[in-house]
Amino acid sequence: MKILSTDKFRHVLLNRTVVIALAAIVLFVLFALTVDRFLTTENLLNMLREVSLLGIMAVGMTFVFVAGEIDISIGSIYGFLTVIMGILVGRHAWNPWFGMLAVVALGAMIGGGTGLIVTRIGIPSFIVSLAGLVAYRSAALLVSGEQPSVTDGLGSFYVVSGGYLGGRLPWLIVWMATAVLLGGLVLSRTRFGYHVFATGGDGEAALSWGVNVRAVKLLCFVIMGALCGLCGALLFGWLHVAAPITGTGFEFRVIAAVILGGAALQGGRGSIYGSLIGSIILGMLSSGLVLLGLSQQWEDVATGGIILFTAMLDWFVRKAGARFASEPRSAE
Amino acid sequence: MRALQDVDVDVFQGEVLAIVGDNGAGKSTLTKILSGVFPPDRGDLYIGQQKIRLANARQAHELGVSTVFQTLALINCRNVACNIFLGREPTHWRFFVDRWKMLADAQAALADLGVHIPTLLGEVGELSGGQRQCIAIARATSQQGKVIIMDEPTAALGVKESGKVLDLILRLKSAGRGIVIISHNMHHVFSVADRIMVLRRGNLAGLRRKKDTTPDEIVAMIVGAS
Repeated sequence: MKILSTDKFRHVLLNRTVVIALAAIVLFVLFALTVDRFLTTENLLNMLREVSLLGIMAVGMTFVFVAGEIDISIGSIYGFLTVIMGILVGRHAWNPWFGMLAVVALGAMIGGGTGLIVTRIGIPSFIVSLAGLVAYRSAALLVSGEQPSVTDGLGSFYVVSGGYLGGRLPWLIVWMATAVLLGGLVLSRTRFGYHVFATGGDGEAALSWGVNVRAVKLLCFVIMGALCGLCGALLFGWLHVAAPITGTGFEFRVIAAVILGGAALQGGRGSIYGSLIGSIILGMLSSGLVLLGLSQQWEDVATGGIILFTAMLDWFVRKAGARFASEPRSAE
Repeated sequence: MRALQDVDVDVFQGEVLAIVGDNGAGKSTLTKILSGVFPPDRGDLYIGQQKIRLANARQAHELGVSTVFQTLALINCRNVACNIFLGREPTHWRFFVDRWKMLADAQAALADLGVHIPTLLGEVGELSGGQRQCIAIARATSQQGKVIIMDEPTAALGVKESGKVLDLILRLKSAGRGIVIISHNMHHVFSVADRIMVLRRGNLAGLRRKKDTTPDEIVAMIVGAS
């Protein structure tokens, strides 16, 4: 028996990330051909900048999904941490770099708290994060006094968060690219990443082979929380304001991006690069529909339709994969 | 009431020991003690002359005792190589998985067993029951263990696939491994076992060399009619 070269080729074609990338290209071409001003450098960079924070959060959510869990509180945590950043920097004159470190650390602790309740007490992550969705949203309003915090936006932090690299490339895109590359490397190439897949694929089986399933899940929630903090800091650096309603409903866009990218609700499947492509698809939809003059509601309808289409496409791809795997090989 | 009481087990290299018994006889409990899933309340475990204490299944693997569970404990959405090396992936700098080595070693482990899998890159969940069983066995053998415990290795398989697994067991025996199989299938037991241990209600009901007994005698010991 040998590993045939055609095996790898066919597996590339049946790979979920490849399929979603092709779908993104089709959508891009469609918009480029039919929507005026879509295919301009300015529009494309703006589009990518708009989805940068979505893309960063999707990295964290991919880890959580692949580990077999879910966190629907991330929009509220993101809003809460944005408010904290605003209070520390805007109202108490903290150095914004220290403010960023503080909210990233706080986000990691919040994620760790969720992870501990899920792994030690055994309450399903949906329930825990549902409680978090409500609690952190209210906490953001309470702590801020329902008032936004503002900053003058002067200093290196604001350049490196909301400014432009080389005067042209939004720094937010650089942050997103860095998060995606690091996240992708960790999830797909490290032993920890392999154990995240095993934990989500079959936690009991993984446990029987020595994988510390609890620690794996806990770390995934910590990553998610830390990235919420990072996004809160970057948003403040970009907009120079921290509004208490930040992030409302954001969790559903993040989850949509991750599902579009191939992550399975039951765990064990997903890809950081797929989630990035999912984020870009949502960004293209938003940009294209805005340029067409359509309202936000049309974007939501289109997003729902794309998620359903993606799920059906996924079903066909898996069926094809199963048929391929059962075919006999003649080269042995 | 005890699941297991005063049971002594010897496993020798190059031999197949079959453990049989009715439901509730204590077979699973014995298997889990031998594979390190949980410790005995009393008694000792030895490998050679060395007394050991198994804190968990991973320690059992490290000491040379590998188990193929009845459920197989495979991750269906991962490929063959990932499953064979789960928990002990080869790495660069103890951090990055060496995927090519893992794939090559998986290929070698399956080739050593004479097992054919159409592709190592596909998900294990898409393979047949016999192929999955072989992958679980390859995982056990690739750990270079001295003893391989198999819990109901043919229970979910058809005739042809059962035959392949039994051939595999005999091949492992010829290679000098000590094999322990737990099985309800008397025909399969008699086709591969050298010794047969019968458990009844947590106690040792009998231990026979295959050539000195018959299926009827074993069944009689199982039900308590002997």
